[in-house]
Amino acid sequence: MEDLKQTFLDEIKSVEGLVDLSNLKIKYLGKKGIITAQLKKLSSIPPADRALFGKKINDIKQFMETEIDVLESRLKGEELKRQLLSDSIDVTLSGKFVSFGREHPINKTLSEITDIFVRMGFSVEEGPEIELDYYNFEALNIPKDHPARDMQDTFYVSPDIVLRTHTSPVQVRVMEKRKPPVRFIAPGKVYRCDADVTHTPMFHQIEGLMVDKGINFSNLKGVLVTFLHHMFGPDTPVRFRPSFFPFTEPSAEIDIGCIICNSSGCRVCKNSGWLEILGAGMVNPRVFEHVGYDPEEYSGFAFGMGIERIAMLKYSIDDIRLFYENDIRFLRQF
Amino acid sequence: MKVSFEWLKELINIKDSADEVAHRLTMIGLEVEAMEQVNDDIVFEVNVTPNRPDCLSIVGIARELSAAYGVAYELPAHDIAAETGELNFNVDILDKELCNRYAGRIVRNVKICESPEWLKKRLEKCNIRPINNVVDATNYVLLEFGHPLHAFDLKTIKGNCIRIGTCRTVKGQAAKIKFKTLDGIEREMPDDSLLIWDAERPIAIAGIMGGIETEVSDYTTDIFIESAYFEPTNIRRTSKSIDLKTESSYRFERGTDIKMLKKALDRAAYLMKETADGEIYGKIDIYPKRYIPPKIQVRYERVNRVLGLKLAKKEILACINKLGLDIEEVDANTFKAKPPTYRRDLKRDADIIEEITRFYGYDRIPAELPKATIGIDSQESRVRGQESKIKNNIKESFLRSGFTEVINYSFMDAKDLDILNIAADDERRCLVDIRNPLRAEDAHMRTTLIPALIKNVIYNLSHGNRELRFFETGRVFINISQDKNSGLPLEKEHVGIIYYHEKSRTLYKDETQVFYIVKGIIEAIFNDLKIYDYSFKRSSEPFLHPGQSADIFIGDNKIGYAGIMSPAIVDILDIKAHRPFIAIAEIDIDRLVPYAMQVVQYRSLPKYPHIERDTALLVDVSLEASALMKWLRSYSSELIDDISIFDVYQGKNIPEGKKSIAFNVRYRASDRTLNDDEIDVVHKSLVAYISEKTKGQLRSS
Repeated sequence: MEDLKQTFLDEIKSVEGLVDLSNLKIKYLGKKGIITAQLKKLSSIPPADRALFGKKINDIKQFMETEIDVLESRLKGEELKRQLLSDSIDVTLSGKFVSFGREHPINKTLSEITDIFVRMGFSVEEGPEIELDYYNFEALNIPKDHPARDMQDTFYVSPDIVLRTHTSPVQVRVMEKRKPPVRFIAPGKVYRCDADVTHTPMFHQIEGLMVDKGINFSNLKGVLVTFLHHMFGPDTPVRFRPSFFPFTEPSAEIDIGCIICNSSGCRVCKNSGWLEILGAGMVNPRVFEHVGYDPEEYSGFAFGMGIERIAMLKYSIDDIRLFYENDIRFLRQF
Repeated sequence: MKVSFEWLKELINIKDSADEVAHRLTMIGLEVEAMEQVNDDIVFEVNVTPNRPDCLSIVGIARELSAAYGVAYELPAHDIAAETGELNFNVDILDKELCNRYAGRIVRNVKICESPEWLKKRLEKCNIRPINNVVDATNYVLLEFGHPLHAFDLKTIKGNCIRIGTCRTVKGQAAKIKFKTLDGIEREMPDDSLLIWDAERPIAIAGIMGGIETEVSDYTTDIFIESAYFEPTNIRRTSKSIDLKTESSYRFERGTDIKMLKKALDRAAYLMKETADGEIYGKIDIYPKRYIPPKIQVRYERVNRVLGLKLAKKEILACINKLGLDIEEVDANTFKAKPPTYRRDLKRDADIIEEITRFYGYDRIPAELPKATIGIDSQESRVRGQESKIKNNIKESFLRSGFTEVINYSFMDAKDLDILNIAADDERRCLVDIRNPLRAEDAHMRTTLIPALIKNVIYNLSHGNRELRFFETGRVFINISQDKNSGLPLEKEHVGIIYYHEKSRTLYKDETQVFYIVKGIIEAIFNDLKIYDYSFKRSSEPFLHPGQSADIFIGDNKIGYAGIMSPAIVDILDIKAHRPFIAIAEIDIDRLVPYAMQVVQYRSLPKYPHIERDTALLVDVSLEASALMKWLRSYSSELIDDISIFDVYQGKNIPEGKKSIAFNVRYRASDRTLNDDEIDVVHKSLVAYISEKTKGQLRSS
């Protein structure tokens, strides 16, 4: 019996393929195979020895089946591998590249800013791009024949209708419709008749407004410093200085330490170490009067910023016109 | 405005360096935008905001610095020690509303020559060209005191008098007046412009520019110096309408100091005596409309409330006590502030609070986040939030489909509509015109996004860029009033796409027709937005290939179109050399969004298996898939779960004028497992039905 096992082991060692193995299997385990023949002998064994013989023969049968199964699955694996390798392709050839599109850097910057304010609980509002003179100027305390109008070169559609020169009219439109508290930003396109290396006749702004009981200048600083630290990093220096906007009072301009030269002075910051980034102020009570808010009960702040400027600083872009040439080599970089 | 540091230091004793002074000015709202070394002086470029005309002078800047540093400043010498003789000159203000005060002085026997070097240098540093010692004296005082003056050649003034008025008040009626200013240009004056007249004729445009006939020349000996207060709005209107801006009009239209004008007048006479040997004669000063500054009531509590501070009364008052305001403490809670005549911008408590903030220091106010009120968004803003999510989805889908986002100007050239063959009665011809465009090509607001997208492709091709896929979302503007009250045009949000493809050598071939690629993307977006009720119908857009374009409908609403650009237009655009396929599409997002606002509701998954049957039909080539689908769907059987077309074939083995369409039907019952025999009967009946409808025949396989 042990000889039989040894012979089987010798034979299985020399098996070279699935065909050999199949033959081996038939030779030992087939209907006319050696083991089958042994099993058939079982009835002729004396009953006393039959159990032991039966167990031995079954053990050896099981042993052989396992050996054959293991070898079979190994041989099948090798066979498959051989087959697959013959189907091999050049994996170093470039793939069928599906080039995703890129978001325009202006909208990318705009979404980034919007997200920060939305996280602070601001909603997002819109207003018309072609706007009444009333909303664009008068309701914002910029009467006709006022020199403050020189701050914004205006495209006119008619004497009473303009292309909005800033996103600030959305302030008035929202306040007219809604009672305080209001807290929103209004991103969008604005227009001024001006075109050179630093100006395009159309550009983007984000306006913001927060009105409630007890809102003060200190809160204006709190919200805008938080925004700027989110946008430019928590260590960015921020500076508030007085300025003038007819619809806010006190008005402020907000500078950040130059992110190009780390405030050491460069061409971009005109050697001042500071970059102007935001305009803001406490809502002028006159604007509240236009929209029927009681300035004794409510106060608020407004702010606005130009997206092109922020995008230019963020990506070190030196010519604003690149944004509107839409050269794919430029757009693909973002 | 240019400010010479050396000149400034003549009026105020500051020890700080130029850098330090510049920083100080910036931090009180007079932003120093640039500094320039000019010989041994430093010139600041100060950005003076329109509310602060009082700072448009050396004296004005010195005054602010005096308040900031707490150091006194001095006015330049202007006392006239003695007058040589009497005035003997008459001034009559006819429009007192437009000219609140008018003063003048005569200086005789001047010797016209160049100004001394020191004076010329100062003018030049401030960008004013020296002319002669008399004219320079008036310009010098303008820079110094911020008050514009005018010097007339006295001998050219007729009738020894000056009258101030509009044509209407002087002549009793409006008339066309042509007037030659000293720059030699003859200008037609608007009816309501304020002019300076002698006994016979206008001799100057008040506050803007003098006339050529009364100009000081090399032969002038006697001078009449004018120093007046003109009402700002009128000056601004006149200056705008004749398109003439001067240093003088710039200051008058912002507002000058009605009190200072006398000192400025004397200072000019003083200088003419110094630099032109003039003899100073008497002066006239007519001041019919006195300016009385308001008394502004301010509550201490409000100051602290606006700023978020807890300042004591004393601290509050200390901030503004050097600004020349008359402060009167009314009671424990309030004070009154009367601004000086040069601060007409201070009208209400908010203005005074701003002054307090300026001198308290913006940087000293702590930054503190507001205590937020958290509430439920209004229904309106919730809807808006949903809408913007949908718009973002659309954008994101185009980005992921390989389209790069562009942003174009909202302007359009009307000629672009001609190129696209847009019909005269098309809505896209309802243009909003811009009255003052920068270029003729930008004279209208766009009514379609396509022309700019085409230009983007042409631009990129000319720079050697290929395989271009662009999209833009933005508004178009239709000159149809959306709201009768406002008269504002209609603004609609559109998305436009352009897909430029040329046969080029690529590793992997894709033979899909460009139309189907673009249509597929649009369908994918609809599905993503859970919009299923859409259809594509043959389009008649004049700029699209008539055989390869479709209008896009949701329900019965047309929301856009997609298709291959008409080869005729490709010809016009001169890009045919590349033999490109250009697909374009434009969709009205505002119309689409409401369909995408569906609430998703779960449907349970089928419990029983389905059975499929495939069938190929031979039909006329002209039969459209949509017609076949419509008929298939019209076959009434509750067992039909889904139908799809999976093959369309024309060519070998198919008779001329015919095509083979293969479709798959999936049958399923909701309450049991179907068997093949049952379905064979149903499907046979369906095939008979559809063959009859399409006049097609079953294709034997």
